[in-house]
Amino acid sequence: MDKKERFRRLLAENEFVFLDGGMGTMLQAKGLKTGELPELLNIASPDMIEEIHREYIAAGSQIVYANTFGCNRFKLEETGHSVSEIISAALKIAKKACGENVLAALDIGPIGKLLEPTGALSFEEAYEVFKEQVLAAKDADLAVIETMSDLYEAKAALLAVKENSDLPVICTMTFEENMRTFTGCSVPSTALTLTGLGADAIGVNCSLGPKELEPVIAELSRWTELPIVVKPNAGLPDPVTNQYDLTAEDFAESMAKLIKYGVKIAGGCCGTNPEFIKCTVKKFSGEKYTPQGKFSQAAVCTPVKTVVIDQPRIIGERINPTGKKRFKEALRQNDTDYIIGQAMEQINAGADILDVNVGLPEIDEKEMMVRVVKALQSVTELPLQLDSTRPDVLEAALRVYNGKPIVNSVNGEENSLKTILPLVKKYGAAVVGLTLDENGIPKTAEGRFKIAEKILDRALKMGIPRQDIFIDCLTLTASAEQEAVMETVKALHRVKTELGLKTVLGVSNISFGLPNRELVNSCFLQMALTNGLDLPIINPNAALMTGAVRAYKLLTNIDRNSADFIAAYSGSSFTVAASSSAPVEKQTVSDGLPYAIENGLKSESAKITRELLKTNDTMEIVDNMLIPALDKAGAEFEKGKIFLPQLIMSAGAAQAAFEVIKEHLSKTGAGGVSKGKVVLATVKGDIHDIGKNIVKVLLENYGFEVIDLGKDVPPENVLDAAVKHDVRLVGLSALMTTTLASMEETVRLLHENNVNCKIVVGGAVLTPEYAEKIGADFYAKDAKETVDIAKQIYC
Amino acid sequence: MIKLEKLDREEAFRYMGIKGEPPQNVLQAAEECERLILECITPKFHWIFAEIEDFSEKGVILSGHRLILSGNDIAAHLGGCCGAVLLCATLGEGADRLIRKFQAEDMAKAVITDSLASAAIEQVCDIAEEEIRRRFKNLTWRFSPGYGDFPLECQGDFLAAVNASRRVGVFLTEGGLLTPTKSVTAVIGVSETPLNNSRKGCGGCNMRDKCNFRKSGGHCNG
Repeated sequence: MDKKERFRRLLAENEFVFLDGGMGTMLQAKGLKTGELPELLNIASPDMIEEIHREYIAAGSQIVYANTFGCNRFKLEETGHSVSEIISAALKIAKKACGENVLAALDIGPIGKLLEPTGALSFEEAYEVFKEQVLAAKDADLAVIETMSDLYEAKAALLAVKENSDLPVICTMTFEENMRTFTGCSVPSTALTLTGLGADAIGVNCSLGPKELEPVIAELSRWTELPIVVKPNAGLPDPVTNQYDLTAEDFAESMAKLIKYGVKIAGGCCGTNPEFIKCTVKKFSGEKYTPQGKFSQAAVCTPVKTVVIDQPRIIGERINPTGKKRFKEALRQNDTDYIIGQAMEQINAGADILDVNVGLPEIDEKEMMVRVVKALQSVTELPLQLDSTRPDVLEAALRVYNGKPIVNSVNGEENSLKTILPLVKKYGAAVVGLTLDENGIPKTAEGRFKIAEKILDRALKMGIPRQDIFIDCLTLTASAEQEAVMETVKALHRVKTELGLKTVLGVSNISFGLPNRELVNSCFLQMALTNGLDLPIINPNAALMTGAVRAYKLLTNIDRNSADFIAAYSGSSFTVAASSSAPVEKQTVSDGLPYAIENGLKSESAKITRELLKTNDTMEIVDNMLIPALDKAGAEFEKGKIFLPQLIMSAGAAQAAFEVIKEHLSKTGAGGVSKGKVVLATVKGDIHDIGKNIVKVLLENYGFEVIDLGKDVPPENVLDAAVKHDVRLVGLSALMTTTLASMEETVRLLHENNVNCKIVVGGAVLTPEYAEKIGADFYAKDAKETVDIAKQIYC
Repeated sequence: MIKLEKLDREEAFRYMGIKGEPPQNVLQAAEECERLILECITPKFHWIFAEIEDFSEKGVILSGHRLILSGNDIAAHLGGCCGAVLLCATLGEGADRLIRKFQAEDMAKAVITDSLASAAIEQVCDIAEEEIRRRFKNLTWRFSPGYGDFPLECQGDFLAAVNASRRVGVFLTEGGLLTPTKSVTAVIGVSETPLNNSRKGCGGCNMRDKCNFRKSGGHCNG
C-alpha cells in the first residue's frame, strides 16, 4: 500500500497514532551549540540522526519527523548547502530508519522571520520559501507544519503543501497559557482556518507541558472535527540548567488526561526523548481513542477575533465605491488611508464584519483588492466579506486573507456555481448565495427558496460544510416593486426554518427613491430580523440601523441583562436627531477653525469646515485659516511651548478639516488643493515608520500631496516614484544605525540617475553631518522642520 | 506571561519630549492609551545563563553557544564576570497592532502609545532583572546589542541562544531589527564577587551627543 494512503488509513482507524519526541534537545545533549543548524548534521553526521530516529521507532513512534525543521533558504543562506540537498539527505536518513512500517514526515517549522504586517516578510515570499521545501520532499510520506505561532505563516505553508504535492498534512501551532499564540491567534481561529484550508489533522506542539495545554486542547476539540494532534514539551526549562521539569512518567500521565478531548495523534517536543514516547505509548495502551463530536457552528474569523453567527451580526457596507464619488477618487489615487478611515468609522459604530468591494472599471481591481485586504487586516481585527463579481479578484483576496472570510457571492447560475464554489472550498471560506439564476430574480418566495436549495445542494456536494452557506434572498426596491417586499421576507423565513441555513440581506436598497429612507430601512430591518435574518448588510454609521439591531437583541433576550445595549447608549445623548449634524453657532464659525485646530478638536474642526464651505472658497479656508493655525502650532512647538503630541493633535484636527474639503471638492468636481507632491519612505531594512508617518500627516495638512511608499522600501522604488510623480522633494527616514547604509544607497541611486529633486533625511540616529556626508540636501530634526523645507522648495 | 498593573507615564512623557507637567489633553489621551495598552500587550521574557569560556580576540565566548559577544564595550562590561545572563523581553504583537491602528485613526494617540509602550518594555526588563537577581547576587546592568561598539549584527545568534522564537515569539527581520518592535535583548554580567560597575552611565550610549536629557543635565535609566 502507498505510504500516503497508509497515513490516511491510520487517521481513519480507531486507534491512536504515535509521533516521535524532541530532536533539537537530543542533539544539544550530544554537543550541538545554540545558533548552529541541526539540519547540517544530515550531511555531517547522518548516523547520529538515524540513531535518534531508530530510538524513537523502538520506543513506539509510527511517524518520525525528518530533521528538516529549519531547513529553509534563509537559514541555509550562508552554509553552502541548498534546501533540496539537505531535505533529500534528511528524508533519506529518516526513510532508512523507518523501514516498511514507519512513516517519514517532511518537517516544516517557522521561517524564523515575522510576516507582515508586524514583520517585513510578505505572505507571497513566505509561500515561496515553503514551496521550495515541499518540492524538495518528493520522498516524504506526509508533511508536518509545526511550531507555528502566526496563522498567516501556517496558511502560507499549508497552501504550499496542498498546491505542490499530494502529501497528507498535519498542522500544529504553539499556544501560551493565555490560550493564544505569540501573535495573538486564538484557538477557535486556528481551528476554523486550518480546518477550512484542508489540513488532515490539526493540533498543538511545543510551548508548554501537557498539563498546561489541557485547556487549549479542550477548546480545540470544540472547534474542529479533525483528528487532534498533541506534541507538548517536557514541561518548562530551567534558565540556568536548561533542564525541563517533567519526568517521562509524569508526561505520559498528563498526556492520557487529554484523550477525552479527542486526541488521536500524540508525541513530544522540546525536552522529550524516547523514554517519554515509550511511557506515553504504554499509558495509552489501556485507553480507547474517542473522537470529539461533530462541528456545526457558523463562524468567521481573523487570527485574533472569531465572530460566531449565533445571533444577528452587522456587516458594514461602506467599503464600496457604488454611488460614492469620494470613494471612487480614493480608489483612483490609491488612497488606502481613506478606505481604512471608512473601516474605522464602521468599527466604532458597531460593525461585526466588513464587506470589501473595490470594483471600479478603470483600476486594477485585483491588485487593489489585495492591497486593501492587507491594509485592512493590518489595522482591524474584524473578519472581512470579500465582495467582487470577478472570480480572479476573489481568489486573490482569499489567498492573502488571514483567517476565515465570507465570499460575496455565488448565485444559482451554472457558471457562478462552477467557478465560485471551488474557490470557497479550497480556501475554507463561508459564502453568500444569492437567490437568482440565469432567469434573474424569481418573483416569488418559492422561486427563491428553490434556488437556495440548489446552491446548498451544490455546495454540499463540493464538500463545503452546511454551516458555511449563507443565503441572500435579495431585497428589491419597495418604490418600484412594492408587492415583492414580503416575498423576500417569506423566502428568508423559509430558508432559515426549512433549510436551517444562516441568512444575509442587504437592507438599504429597500428604500431607494423614497423620502425618509432611514425610517423605511429600519422598519424593514426589524421585519427581516424577526423572520430570521442573521447577517444584515447595512451602514453601521446610521445610528437608527445599528440601534435597531441592538434593540432587537435586547428584546429577544440575546443581549443578556441588556449589557451591550446599555454599554452602547448609557451616558450618550443618543437620539434620532443626533444622527444628523447639529448646526454650529454662527459666531464660532469664522474664528472657530483656528481655535479647533490649536486645541486638536477633530470633530469640531470638521463641523466648522462644513459650515464655512457654505460661504467660503476652499483655498480661502486652507490659506487663511488652516495653515495659519498650523503655523502657530508649529511655532509654539519650536519654542517648546507645546510638545509633539499636541502638535500632532493640531495636525489631526486640520486633517479632519481637509477631509471635509476633499469631499466637497470631489462632489463639486473642482480641482484639488495640492501645493506640490512629496515622496516619503522609510528606507529598506527599517520597519519603524511612525516618524515618517508623523511627517506625512503634517505635510498633508499644509496641502502637500504625499506619495507614501511605506516602510522597508527598496531604493529602486524610491527612484521609480520620484521619477513617475516628477516630485521636487523626497523624504527618507531611518531609525537604526544598521539601516543608515540603505539610506545612503537610496540617496546615491537618486543622484546617479540625475533625478531633479531635493532630498531631505531624518530619523533618531541621523545628524546634520551624516546627512551631508551621504549627499542629502537637507537634514530635518523633526516633522515641523520637514514642512519648512517643503515650503521653501515649493513656495 | 507577566502582568503590568500600570505604566511609567513619567518616563513616557519624557520620551515625548514633554518638560514639566504634561498638558491636560495629552494627559487625558495618555490615560486612555495606557488602558488600551495594558489590555492588549502580552509581556513576556525569557533568559538563560551561560558560562564565559574565554575573553578572546574575537570577543567574549560563551560555552554551549555560537554567539560571540564582540566589541570592547561588552568585554569591558563583562570584566570580572564568570558568566552572562542573556535576556530577551517583549510586549508581544499587541502593542504593534495598537500603534498601527492608531496610526490609521489618530496619529497623536499613536505617538503617545508608542512612548508608553517603550516605557512598558523597560518595566518588563526590570521585572526580569528582579527575577534574575533572585538567582544571582552580583550582576552588572543591562547592556544591549547596539550600545557602544557591541554590534547589532549579533542579534540572530543572540535570539537563537535564548531560543527566543519559541520562548517569547521574538524574531529578526532581514534588516536585523527585532520584531515585535517593542522587544529588547540584553546581556547582564554575573560575577562571583561584588561589582562596582553595576550602574548604567552615558559612556557607552550612541545617543550621548544628541541626547536631550543629557544636555539638560539628566540621564535615563540610572
